[in-house]
Amino acid sequence: MLSRGFARSNNIVRSHIQLWRPVRSYTKDAKEGTQNELANKIVTDMPPMDEPVKGLPNAVYATFKESNQKTQITVLPNGLTVASENRFGEFCTVGVVIDSGSRYEVAYPSGISHFLEKLAFHSTSRFEDKDLMMGTLEKHGGICDSQASRDTFIYAASAYTQGLDDVMQMLGEVILRPRITSEELEYARQAIHFELETLGMRPEQETLLMDMIHAAAYRDNTLGLPKLCPQNNIMKIDRSMIFNYLKQHYTPKRMVVAGVGVDHALLVDAAQKYFVDATPVWENDSEVYKGTSVDESVSQYTGGMVQEECEIPQFASAGLPVLSHVMIGLEGCSHQDKDFIPMCVLNMMMGGGGSFSAGGPGKGMYTRLYTNVLNRYHWMYSATAYNHAYSDTGLFCIHASSPPNQLREMVEVIVREMVAMGGSVSEQELRRAKTQLQSMLLMNLESRPVVFEDIGRQVLATGHRKRPNFFIDEIEKVNKDQIMEVAKRLLSTQPCIAARGDLRRMPPLDYVQAGFLNGEGKMPGRKLSLFR
Amino acid sequence: MASLLKLSQNLAKLPKNNIAIQHLRCATTAAKPNETLLNVPPTKVTTLNNGIRVATEDWGSQTATVGIWIDAGSRYENAKNNGVAHFMEHMAFKGTGKRSQSQLEIEIEDMGAQLNAYTSREQTVYYSKCLSKDVPKAMEILSDIVQNAKLGSQEIERERGVILREMQEVESNLQEVVFDHLHAIAYQGTPLANTILGPTANIKTINNTDLRSYLDNHYKASRIVVAGAGGVSHEELTKLAECTLNKVNNEYTAEIPSLSPCRYSGAEIRVRDDSLPLAHIAIAVEGTGWTNPDTLTLMVASTLMGAWDRSQASAKQNATNLARASGEGDLCHSFQSFNTCYKDTGLWGVYFVSDPLKIESMMFHVQEEFMRLCTSVTEGEVNRAKALLIANTLLQLDTSTAVCEDIGRQMLCYGRRLPPHELVHRIQSITAENVRDVCYKYIYDRCPAVAAVGPVEQLPDYNRVRSAMYWMRV
Repeated sequence: MLSRGFARSNNIVRSHIQLWRPVRSYTKDAKEGTQNELANKIVTDMPPMDEPVKGLPNAVYATFKESNQKTQITVLPNGLTVASENRFGEFCTVGVVIDSGSRYEVAYPSGISHFLEKLAFHSTSRFEDKDLMMGTLEKHGGICDSQASRDTFIYAASAYTQGLDDVMQMLGEVILRPRITSEELEYARQAIHFELETLGMRPEQETLLMDMIHAAAYRDNTLGLPKLCPQNNIMKIDRSMIFNYLKQHYTPKRMVVAGVGVDHALLVDAAQKYFVDATPVWENDSEVYKGTSVDESVSQYTGGMVQEECEIPQFASAGLPVLSHVMIGLEGCSHQDKDFIPMCVLNMMMGGGGSFSAGGPGKGMYTRLYTNVLNRYHWMYSATAYNHAYSDTGLFCIHASSPPNQLREMVEVIVREMVAMGGSVSEQELRRAKTQLQSMLLMNLESRPVVFEDIGRQVLATGHRKRPNFFIDEIEKVNKDQIMEVAKRLLSTQPCIAARGDLRRMPPLDYVQAGFLNGEGKMPGRKLSLFR
Repeated sequence: MASLLKLSQNLAKLPKNNIAIQHLRCATTAAKPNETLLNVPPTKVTTLNNGIRVATEDWGSQTATVGIWIDAGSRYENAKNNGVAHFMEHMAFKGTGKRSQSQLEIEIEDMGAQLNAYTSREQTVYYSKCLSKDVPKAMEILSDIVQNAKLGSQEIERERGVILREMQEVESNLQEVVFDHLHAIAYQGTPLANTILGPTANIKTINNTDLRSYLDNHYKASRIVVAGAGGVSHEELTKLAECTLNKVNNEYTAEIPSLSPCRYSGAEIRVRDDSLPLAHIAIAVEGTGWTNPDTLTLMVASTLMGAWDRSQASAKQNATNLARASGEGDLCHSFQSFNTCYKDTGLWGVYFVSDPLKIESMMFHVQEEFMRLCTSVTEGEVNRAKALLIANTLLQLDTSTAVCEDIGRQMLCYGRRLPPHELVHRIQSITAENVRDVCYKYIYDRCPAVAAVGPVEQLPDYNRVRSAMYWMRV
């Protein structure tokens, strides 16, 4: 019954209409005007969606209880680590997390990682073109993605669990055996060019400011190198540079193959087959890539200021407010540091967001950047705290925006608020921040790709994965003294600043530095003089 | 693990109308004939005495989403009270008889939970994401704000400003502006033409009486679904709903609102503004309502149109023709296809953002693709689109919030939760022929609705757009 074909009797009629169309009838009401014969006929031979399809097998559902899941980890003989965790559901997420990213690009023109992000999932030794590869993936109901950050590069795919082998083959091909044809390179150039153009045009400034504040915080070294390919480098980067980089960085010891919702043994087998037995293309390539060694240097936090005078928004007429953006940061700590968790709690306590943002309670309405900043200074448009943690350092910063004529006041407010982090902490706000951090952690881990990323990153950094409950307990232990201690640690470092927009009223760096040195966070030079 | 494979095994047993599923026939574990094992928990549904339906999917996890889905929205409004549904949603957060606004906020914040709400043209939704242990509290808060909102006149006055500010926010998002215009012309003269926020005049005048009467005549037991996903036990949530929503009934104080059909009109609107850098344009035809069996086929057709933006590399090897054309010809900055469904009607089409001088070419390619879908789309590409649609539909059910949203919406639209194997079966049954037929029915020689905002001088005249909705050739 179900395989019965769809009504096709109108085939002839249809072509007839197309050939000899009578005078067109314009109708206001599509229901009235029957312009083609099919209009009143049932086209899809299925019951309405509110009625079940008959004849389907009865479903036997599963029931779940949070089991004591374990992350299984295997290190292959060549140093490649495979980590996985089982999980309910019809789908799995697998991928590779690589110790690679813009921080390692010092010996190259910046932007290699940005190129790699655009070049991912294209033709490989085995898959002649992208279509062929996508066809394989789609066969298993899959989707894929690649993502470059400053210190980690992630390739991942989600698909039906039984497609694991094919998906792993695809990942192995994409990561170790890409072709990178000149045509693909050209498209990557175009895509990067467009992305930069779009970033400049959008009202959101986070991506650009993040690059700028990292440049200010780690001047010309490691994490300070731009993640976004600079316009000038788009034409400079070529195939041999990219392969040279790949050969240096895409080595087994720098990679973790991670999977969620997969059988560990199967994943290990597939990793062996496609990541060890099948060798990287650069090993057999006739061209010799004699690159420099990997940049192992430890990041050097310098502090400083990076500014860009421009108009935000680029086109004022769209009804968007004219704003100046500033990001002020201090050196934080690494994710392996003992202060890491208190630092995260502090970040949660600062919280913040947009002065006008959708969503009800639960977005941190009682965090300090709301209660002390946004609720008090109504001219401010947004204020949000960020905490970035890397393997050897971290960056704690606050992003704020306001109309350009209030830029100076805004910087003052933010500096004052940051200095106040070293002051007292109330029991209630600490309790709230801890609960919110705990629930945020658990909520994020609902999503399978997030679990994948968490496993991959943790195993890459430390060789094992700590369970969510470990962090829940650690968060629970944080006390007021620890918060004050990490705040003092932050405030003992030099500030770094990124500013974008109309910057005529931007105070100079030394004023901000003086503000941080002042016990109340007051910046100098605010004399009531007409001739300042 | 073994059970993971069984869905596919049984799919393979279904009529072999598709090649793409045959590779899945790899399972070995025996399920009883005519049974299919799913590695997802069931959706349990209970109807309470007053008619409220409770539906849950229990994962036994540490976090959960629970919410109240109400069959009410701006479609039930008229010119006079347009905006009241959305206003009511705002007022729900402004305190109840039991708790003031700040008490409510602090309670939620202290639990590390989130409380959210939205109003669409046909649905009003209040939901909370929280730790599983806090589900009772979240449910109590939700039912309190839905039933006992204070609606104080001071709070109402204050909220007018907030909503007007929200309106500004919406107006700065050109995509939303275009879609509001599209509704306004496609459904002109019917309630679906109204915006959700309502006109400024209404926002400034809506009062306590309006809100109260809206509440009394729309938040009715038989139109309410309580949905839960994640770490929620069905029995527990049913009991909670029974206790906390016991005051909701099915008695109306005024005439029982009836849902009048919304007429679709092919028409266009141009909001020309040459000071904007890019043109934002949507072109649509009348699609299907939620329950129509053609809906999924139109979804496949949407997938075949695809979505694209300039930051994606490899235009040449993109899955959809339109994406390829856009990339190669630099026709637009981005485009996306859409299929918006309502109870008895829908809008199916494409929205794009393009350079002012590329509008005509882009429109040409969009409409050419429309015609190709109606006449010559091939089995191969349909199979790809089906696989992609299944993957996207199932893969997005990844968080408790997404699942809860799916349950709530489906319970209101279908009166049931569509089981995953049925959804897969329905999509897999679609053939290229069916896509051609359905597109022929809804797209071919139909009057489109066109909404354009920005520097849109180059947008072809409506008669030309209309005449590109058919071919004078085979």
